[in-house]
Amino acid sequence: MSDPIRLQSFITLSEIDKSYRMGGQTVPIFQDLSLTIEQGEFVAVMGPSGSGKSTILNMLGGIDRPDRGKLTIGNSQLHRMGEGALTAWRAQHVGIVFQFYNLLPMLTAAQNVEIPLLLKPLNARSRRERIRTVLDLVGIGDRAHHLPSQLSGGQQQRVGIARALISDPQLLLCDEPTGDLDRKSATEIMEMLQFLNKELGKTIVMVTHDPESTRYADRTLFLNKGVFESREVAA
Amino acid sequence: MTFLGLASKNAWRKPGRTILLIVSVTIAFALYAVLQAFLNGASGAAVDQGRLVVANGASAAQSLPVRYLDTLETLDGVDDVAFSARMRGFVGTEDNIAVVTAVDPERGYRVFGQELGLDPAMIEGLSAERDALLVGQMLARAMGWQVGDRVSITGFHDVQKDGSRNWAFTVAGIFPGKTASTDTYFAIAQYGYFNAMRQNGADTVKNFVVIPAEGVDPQSLAPKIDAQFANSPYPTRTQSEKQFLQSFMRQIGDLKAVVGMVVAAALITIFMIVVNTMAFAVRERTFEIGVLKSIGLSRHRIMSLILSESLLVFTIGGALGGILGWIACRFADPSIGLVFSVAGWVNIAALTLGLGLLSGLLPALNAMRLPIVQTFKAR
Ligand SMILES: Nc1ncnc2c1ncn2[C@@H]1O[C@H](COP(=O)(O)OP(=O)(O)O)[C@@H](O)[C@H]1O
Ligand SMILES: [Mg+2]
Repeated sequence: MSDPIRLQSFITLSEIDKSYRMGGQTVPIFQDLSLTIEQGEFVAVMGPSGSGKSTILNMLGGIDRPDRGKLTIGNSQLHRMGEGALTAWRAQHVGIVFQFYNLLPMLTAAQNVEIPLLLKPLNARSRRERIRTVLDLVGIGDRAHHLPSQLSGGQQQRVGIARALISDPQLLLCDEPTGDLDRKSATEIMEMLQFLNKELGKTIVMVTHDPESTRYADRTLFLNKGVFESREVAA
Repeated sequence: MTFLGLASKNAWRKPGRTILLIVSVTIAFALYAVLQAFLNGASGAAVDQGRLVVANGASAAQSLPVRYLDTLETLDGVDDVAFSARMRGFVGTEDNIAVVTAVDPERGYRVFGQELGLDPAMIEGLSAERDALLVGQMLARAMGWQVGDRVSITGFHDVQKDGSRNWAFTVAGIFPGKTASTDTYFAIAQYGYFNAMRQNGADTVKNFVVIPAEGVDPQSLAPKIDAQFANSPYPTRTQSEKQFLQSFMRQIGDLKAVVGMVVAAALITIFMIVVNTMAFAVRERTFEIGVLKSIGLSRHRIMSLILSESLLVFTIGGALGGILGWIACRFADPSIGLVFSVAGWVNIAALTLGLGLLSGLLPALNAMRLPIVQTFKAR
C-alpha cells in the first residue's frame, strides 16, 4: 500500500454474519464472510439470484447492517454506527446507482440530481454550477430540464449516476446498473463507470448479471449461496 | 429547488387528488367558521350578575304598572331603576320582524347605556323628538335604515288610539352594542311617546331592571322587593337578570347543541377522510422514501418533508375555509346573529396546524421507522 498509515484496506468486511427472519424462521445469508477492497478498485460481483449480492451492497452502503462481524470503510466502522450516523455518513461517502434508476418522477433531471445537495449549505449559484458540471460529466447537460418520463432508460441511468456523484463520494455502489438497458446503452454506461473509476479514482462495487460488463472491472467475484467462489479472475 | 419546493412538488404530484383534499378541508373549515360564529353569537346578550329583573309574578309575559317605579326607587338598597315596554312589530311584511323597546331615555342610558354602546348624543337625540328612534346596528343593517330616515313599524298587537297599527319614527341614532356579540337587533323609542299613543295597556311596563346599591346583596334584595307588592293586584317576581334570561336561553342553547353536534359530525367525517387519504398518499410512496433515505436524507428530513406536505394542504384549505366562513358571516342575515371573532381565527389557525401535523404525522412516523431494505420491497 502506498499509504503507510493505513494498515487496512479501504473496505474491509471481516467475519460477517447476516440472516433474515422469514415467518418465524431464521434464514442465514452469510456466515463468516470476509472481503477486502482497495481504494480505487472496480469490483464486479456476479452470482445467481438470491445469493446475497444486493445484501452485500446494502451493507456497504450502510442501509442494511451485519448481525455480527466488522465492516470498515475508510476510517468509519460501520458496524458500530447507529442509524443516524449511518445516514449522515452515507450522504457524504457513498453514491448509490440503482437498476431501475429510482428517480422521482415529478422532478426534472437537474432537480433529481439536486436532492442530495438539499442537505448541504450551498448558495444557489454554486449549487447550480455543481449540478451543471455533473450533468455535463455524464453527458446529459442538454436534458437538464426533462422529466424522467421524457428520457430513455440510458439517459435516466445517467441522471442516476449524476445524482450518485453530486456529493463527490469516494465509493460508488451499483446494483445491476445496466440490468434494464439495451446493449448500446449498457456499453455507454459501463464506459462511463470505467471513466469515473480510472479518471476520477472512484472505488466502484458493482453487482451485475452481464458477463460483458465484468470486462470493465479490475476484479470479478462470484457469489453462490452466500459464499465467494474461487473462480476469482483478474481482468 | 428548496426543501419546501420538494414538498410542494410532492403535494402536487396528483393535482386532482390534492385539489380535492384542499376543497374538502376548505369546506370543513368554512363550516367550522360559520358554526363558531353561530355559537358565538345570538346568546351574546351581556348578563350582569348584579342586576335584578322585576316582572309580573303571574307570568313574565304580563305587564306591571309603571307606578311601581316610585316604590322601587325609594326602597332601601336600590340604587337605580329602569323600565321598559315592548312592541313587537314588522316592517313591510310580517316575516320582517322588528322589536321596539320603549324606555325613559335618561334611565335607559344609565342602566343599559354601556352594554348597548349608547352615547350622550344618542340620548339627546332620543329625547329631542317624541317619535325619535335609536336603532341597533344589526337591525339597521338588515332594514337598510340610516340616521334621519322616517320609518314605519306595524305593531302585531299594539294599536294607536286612532286605530292605526302603523307606528312612525325618525331614526335619531344607531347604536353599535358593546361588543360584536351584543344583540342589537332591536330599536329603542321613548316610553312617553309610546305610552301616550297606545290604545291598550297604558301606564304599564314589561318589567323593571333594578340596580342594587353598592354592597347590597341582590339575592337578599329580591324577596324584599316582592314583599312590597305581595298584596297588590299585580304581585311581582324578582330574579337576577341571569335567572330571568335562563329559560329563554335554554331554548337557544338546545338548538345550538343540536346544530353543533350535526356540524361536528360532518366535520369529523371530512377530516377523517382527509387524514386517511393523506396517509394513503404517503404510504404509496414508501419506496421513494426509501430512495431518499438511501441518498442520505435523515429521518427528520423525511419527517419534515411529509409534514410540510400535509401542512400545505391544511394551510391552504384552512385559510380559504376561514375566509369563506368570514364572508358568509358578513353577508348573512344579521338576525341570525353570526359573530366572527378574532378567537375564531385563532381556533381555525390552531386546528389547521394541529390537523395538518396529525394527518402527516401518522404516515410520516411509519415511513420514518421502516428500514430502507423494507421500503425497497414496497415497489
Ligand atoms: N429484507 C429482507 N427480509 C427477508 N429476506 C431477505 C431480505 N432481503 C433479502 N432477503 C433474502 O436474502 C437473500 C439474498 O437476497 P439478495 O441479497 O437480494 O440477493 P441477490 O441480490 O443476490 O438476488 C434472498 O434469499 C432474499 O430472499
Ligand atoms: Mg439483487
